Amino acid sequence: MFLNAWSLALTLTSIAGIVLGGIACRTAIRVLRHWNPASDSELQIRLEGEIWLSSTLVAYGLGFQIVSLILFVLAADEFCKVIVGAMCATGSLLANSYGMPALLVKLVGVFFYGFWIVLHQLDIRSESYPLVRTKYLYLLLLYPLMAADVTLQTLYIAGLKPDIITSCCAVVFAAATGGGTNLLTLGSENLQLLLYYLTMVLLLGLGGLLLWRWNRWLQALYAVGWFWFFGLALVVITNVISSYIYAMPYHHCPFCLLKPEYHYIGFAIYGTLIGGAFLGSSAGLVEPCKRRAGLAEVVASYQKRAVQISLILLLLFAALTSYHYLLYMASGGEV
Amino acid sequence: MLIELDSVSKIYNQGQPNEVRALSEVSLAIPPQTMVCLKGPSGSGKSTLLSIIGCIFAPTSGRATIAGKALARLPDRFLTVHRRATIGFIFQRFNILPALSVVDNITLPLLPLGISPKVRRERAVILMDQLAIRHREHFPAGQVSGGELQRVAIARALVNDPPIILADEPTAHLDSRLSSEFMQIMADLKHAGKTIVITSHDPLVTEHPAIDRVVGVKDGRIDVP
Repeated sequence: MFLNAWSLALTLTSIAGIVLGGIACRTAIRVLRHWNPASDSELQIRLEGEIWLSSTLVAYGLGFQIVSLILFVLAADEFCKVIVGAMCATGSLLANSYGMPALLVKLVGVFFYGFWIVLHQLDIRSESYPLVRTKYLYLLLLYPLMAADVTLQTLYIAGLKPDIITSCCAVVFAAATGGGTNLLTLGSENLQLLLYYLTMVLLLGLGGLLLWRWNRWLQALYAVGWFWFFGLALVVITNVISSYIYAMPYHHCPFCLLKPEYHYIGFAIYGTLIGGAFLGSSAGLVEPCKRRAGLAEVVASYQKRAVQISLILLLLFAALTSYHYLLYMASGGEV
Repeated sequence: MLIELDSVSKIYNQGQPNEVRALSEVSLAIPPQTMVCLKGPSGSGKSTLLSIIGCIFAPTSGRATIAGKALARLPDRFLTVHRRATIGFIFQRFNILPALSVVDNITLPLLPLGISPKVRRERAVILMDQLAIRHREHFPAGQVSGGELQRVAIARALVNDPPIILADEPTAHLDSRLSSEFMQIMADLKHAGKTIVITSHDPLVTEHPAIDRVVGVKDGRIDVP
C-alpha cells in the first residue's frame, strides 16, 4: 500500500530521518576517533565546524522520526477505511505482524530520540562543546533503533493487504472469558483508579518539592515515578477511562480516542502524557551532565523548566482524563 | 596579552584547485593599550590576519586567543556575543548605510543588545560630541563628507565600548589631512586605554608616533627584518 498519501508521507519522513542520521554517523565515527578540544590542529578545527552542521541535521532527522509517530497513528486510522474488518487504528495495526511492533518502536523512539535532542540543546549552550563525544556515541547507539523503526514501518506498509480480514477493536480490547486473563482483567476498576490518582498526587508532590528544594534523590524518584505512571496511565486509559469517554461500558479501545467522533481528545491525552513523561524523566537523566565543564547551570535550568512543564502537563492530563469520569459521576452514574 | 596568535594558518578553498595559503604558522602577541600596524603589500595576508584577530574567520589551524578566549572557535551563538563586546571594526570603505541617519548608523551595533532608544542615543551623542559630528546627527549618512563619514565609522566601532579596535586600511581612500586626523583620533583612543590594530602601508600610519610596533607581513608570514 505504498501508493497512498499517508504511506508516501511516512516513507519520505523516515527516509529523510535515516539519511540525515546516516550522514551524521560518519561524523560520529570521526568525532569518537579524533575529537580533542585542547588541540589546535586542522582536523580538530574542521571537526568543530562539521559537528555544527551534522548536529543540526541529526536534530532535524530525529525530529522527523518523532513526528512520524503522529503520522503513523493518523495513517493507521486512515488505513482502516480500506482494510476489511478494521474499525479504527487497532484493526489496521493488527492487519499484519509488523504494525504493533512498529508502533511500539516509534513510541520508545520518542523518548530516545528526544533525549538526544535534549543533550544537543544542552551541549550548544556551553562554550566548550562538553557533550560532543557523549551525544555522538549515543547517536551511534541510536541508529539501529532508527533503522529498526524504518524497517518495521516499511514492512508494515508493504504487508498491508486490503482483502485480508483483520480484527475490530471491540474484539481485541475485550475482557478475557472462560477463566483467562488479559490486560482488561488486571484488577478492579477502583483499584486501578486508586493507584492512578495516588501516583498522580505523588508526582505532583515530588515535583512541588523539587521546585522548592532541589535534591537529586528526589529527582531520580520523580523520573522513575514518571516511567511507572506512563505505563500505568496507558493501562488505565484502556481499561477504565476510554469507556467513560465513549460512554460505552464495553468499549475499551485506546485508539478510537484519536477519532473525530471524540473530538480528537486522544491526541491531547497522549500528547500531554508523552510530553510529561519525557520531560519528567529527562530531568533526571541529564543529572550526570552537571559534572561536565560549563554545564552545571545550564542543566539545572533545564531540569527546573522540565519539571515545571511536566507538572503543568500532568495537571492537563489529569483534567482531560478525569473530565468524562467526573461528569458521569456528577450526573448520578454508578461505578 | 590581549591578543595572542599561536601558529595560526589560514587556507582558503582547501583541497580545491584554487587553494590559497593566506597565512602560515603566524605567531603574534599584542599587549593591552598598544597600537600595532600590520604592514605589507597587497595579498600579503594582513587583512586575513586582521580578520582572524577580529574573529570574522576561524584559523585553519593554530589558536587565536582574544581577551583570554579562543573566540573564533567558540560556537556561533557565543562568538557573536563576545565579538560584539570585545571588538570594534573600522572598514576600508567604512561600510556605512547611506540611507540611515548618522545617529542610526552609530547606534546600529546596539540594536541586538535590546538597549532602549534613549540610552542608545545618549551613547551616540557622547561619541558624536567627542568626534565633532553632532551637527550631522540627523543627516542621511550618504550626504555627509568623507571625513565625517570616517568619524561616523569610528563612532560606530566605539559605541559598544570594546577594548580592541581593528581598522583595515582605514586611510586608503582619504587625503593626507583626513589621514592625519584619523591617526590623531586613534592616538587619543590608545591613551584612553584601547588596543588598536591597523593594517596599512600608508607611511602616515606606519610612521605615526603613536604606533608602538609595526609588524611586517609578507607571503602569509611575519616578516622579520
